[in-house]
Amino acid sequence: MAVTAFTEEQIERYSRQIILPEVGGIGQAKLLAARVLVVGAGGLGSPVALYLAAAGVGSIGIVDSDCVDISNLQRQILHGTADLGRQKCFSAKEALESINPDVVVTPYPVRLTSSNILEIISDYDVVVDGSDNFPTRYLVNDACVLAAKPLCHAGILRFEGQVTTIIPGQGPCYRCLYPEPPPPGLMPSCQEAGVLGATAGVVGAIQATEVLKLILEIGDCLVGRILIYDGLAMSLRVVRVERDAACPICGDSPTLAGLVDYEHFCGLAAAEEQEYE
Amino acid sequence: MSECNGGVTVRLHGALRHAVGTRDVVLSDGVGTIGDVLHLLAERHGERAARMIFDRQGNVWRSLILLVNEEPASLGPATPVKSGDTISILLPLAGG
Repeated sequence: MAVTAFTEEQIERYSRQIILPEVGGIGQAKLLAARVLVVGAGGLGSPVALYLAAAGVGSIGIVDSDCVDISNLQRQILHGTADLGRQKCFSAKEALESINPDVVVTPYPVRLTSSNILEIISDYDVVVDGSDNFPTRYLVNDACVLAAKPLCHAGILRFEGQVTTIIPGQGPCYRCLYPEPPPPGLMPSCQEAGVLGATAGVVGAIQATEVLKLILEIGDCLVGRILIYDGLAMSLRVVRVERDAACPICGDSPTLAGLVDYEHFCGLAAAEEQEYE
Repeated sequence: MSECNGGVTVRLHGALRHAVGTRDVVLSDGVGTIGDVLHLLAERHGERAARMIFDRQGNVWRSLILLVNEEPASLGPATPVKSGDTISILLPLAGG
């Protein structure tokens, strides 16, 4: 899009970022033309999608099969009390498009699986992982590596968060960092251990910053680095992490040529069987 | 196991911090390597913490990111530690 194609309203709406030399009219045009898929419309997906929409990212896909529950509202700021019981991706679409009519939101009220993920991510330039379970996190990682899509990953618990950006071929992937999922039930979820809503806000805003930088091709993304946010100590640290040459999906001689059954990989199928024994 | 005269600070994260109930643990004796640190943590802080550190075969769980003074521990559990070092242990966070 040429700079001259902006409307008066767009120039005014985006003026505070267009005056940034790192953005400018060319950058704003890149944002309006960009396509970002946000996996999860929960604690992380909410701030990520809100900031991307407000910045004028033109096409945003939202994947979430859940409905809005009252226990979500303390941190999932895309949704309000009036949305209770609605499917999150439709509630998200309404909230995002009301903030910025330049944005087209595509809702995906489905659970991502090995069968549908490659087709869904093929329509997007960047993927954001704001999911809440290990099978989805490994699935999204592997699909992004196979499809060579940049992925911004984050996870949260209580007052803590981690963010890293995965650009296949340029640094470690999620499996390089965490090659083996934890035994089912060992790691407490936010439902069990709790999470401060603002933790999701801080960490999601950092993810949104990473995505905007990727689109704008500016700055240094968290490739080969993990940002660790600790809200109790109020510290932000960035540590270096290395690619695993033996990684089964992105290593020098990958042993995984395609997607697998991630419930099985994370031991969930085995755990359920054991429960019924 | 070589002796460490001062203290080694272990900075815990995520579910392990939650299981142990504190952000930092200071170990003042008997730690020559990160492996020693992990064994002491597992011994002192209960079964749940131990299961986050060691797998069923008794090996250090492959998904622990081990850092010495914020740099990757190049030798994994065999990485030597000395008095004044800070060991960070990162675990994956599922929450979103």
